[in-house]
Amino acid sequence: MVTNFMHRLNIDDRGLASRRAFFEITDEDLARLATHRGLAESHSGEVVEKLYHLLLGHPESRAFFPDDSSVRRVKQLQHTYFLGLFEGRCDLAYVENRLRVGAAHERIGLAPQWYIGAYGRYLRLIFDHLFGELGAAEAQAAVQSATKLVLFDMSLAIDTYIAANLDTVARHQAAIREMSTPVIKVHQGVLLLPLIGTVDSHRAEQIMETLLMRVVEEQARAVIVDIAGVPLVDTMVADHLLKTTEAVRLLGAQTILTGISAQIARTIVQLGVDISAMHTRARLADGIVLALSLLGREITAKAP
Amino acid sequence: MARGSIPILRVGDNLLVTVQTDLHDAVAEAFQEDLLAAIEKTGAAGLLIDVTGLDIVDSYVARVLADTAKMARLMGTDTVIVGIRPEVAATLVRMGYTMSGVRTALNVDDGLAMLPARR
Repeated sequence: MVTNFMHRLNIDDRGLASRRAFFEITDEDLARLATHRGLAESHSGEVVEKLYHLLLGHPESRAFFPDDSSVRRVKQLQHTYFLGLFEGRCDLAYVENRLRVGAAHERIGLAPQWYIGAYGRYLRLIFDHLFGELGAAEAQAAVQSATKLVLFDMSLAIDTYIAANLDTVARHQAAIREMSTPVIKVHQGVLLLPLIGTVDSHRAEQIMETLLMRVVEEQARAVIVDIAGVPLVDTMVADHLLKTTEAVRLLGAQTILTGISAQIARTIVQLGVDISAMHTRARLADGIVLALSLLGREITAKAP
Repeated sequence: MARGSIPILRVGDNLLVTVQTDLHDAVAEAFQEDLLAAIEKTGAAGLLIDVTGLDIVDSYVARVLADTAKMARLMGTDTVIVGIRPEVAATLVRMGYTMSGVRTALNVDDGLAMLPARR
């Protein structure tokens, strides 16, 4: 999962170097933070407590921590996270660890608002301690280094959050696409594709691909495309239907277009689209009869 | 690939060819020549070209196939192309290349059934 995000965010040796360069994180910054590790360790407990004071103090963010044991667990993680800032490294392993934070937040649905606010509190707490215990010049240098690294972490968390979110959206889109292109086998060698809703070019491509695969899988000789549920047939839709028909023909099957209302018939003719290459029928029932006859079969009444 | 490397089988009055390697330009031309020569020699009634093995058919290969069918027609031989893959069909149509006038079938059985049985 995290490895996947490393890839998605383009973080390899080069990507990391470039990101670090943009945040102006130098080896001196990291070395400087490492010298303050002792200070960080002595205040880690307090910093984490104050951070959770903020997070648990708001009903919306509090809702993400259902019970005491989960609070204890995240506090422990936070402790490790905090000390990670003072380890003096910012390598691939460091980034991998930071990406887990973003991915975990997306998984539980914690929006950036909450952790950006928390990062703000973090920085103020770190500043307080650095200024409180170091000389002015030293403190200022340390504050700058810490700010760079915390913002760097923040960028990773947000980028992961967005990437994870996009993954979720893509999964949903795939599910919707699949549901919106049901190809039904109505008889041996006859497939039915009932189209419902608007057909845009993306969906039209999807329809063609799904249909062609199924034609070969089922070795179907006839395909009925029913467009009774398509509210609008414009030039683009008509063109896609024609292309699909051509592709189906290349496989060695025939397409029958059904569900053509008076309105659609009028539109098609007015648009000047030539669909004479397609078999067409007004009603799906007629299309099924035609499909069967193409296969040399017919529906007959049972003998009494 | 040298000429004659795509085997042409004779089944009854028909010729049966299975294309299994990608048809690069030179191969495609040799393939067309071989087929026409075989038609000339045998006077076959039908020609079946099975392209199930082709993952990629570019516009050049599609044109060679369509032209071959037309040339065979001129020599009195009906051609059926079978086994075009879904992704190949989609690509050809997207390129606007529909091989109109060429007969197609889903598989070899269907294709053979479309060819004349003159014996």
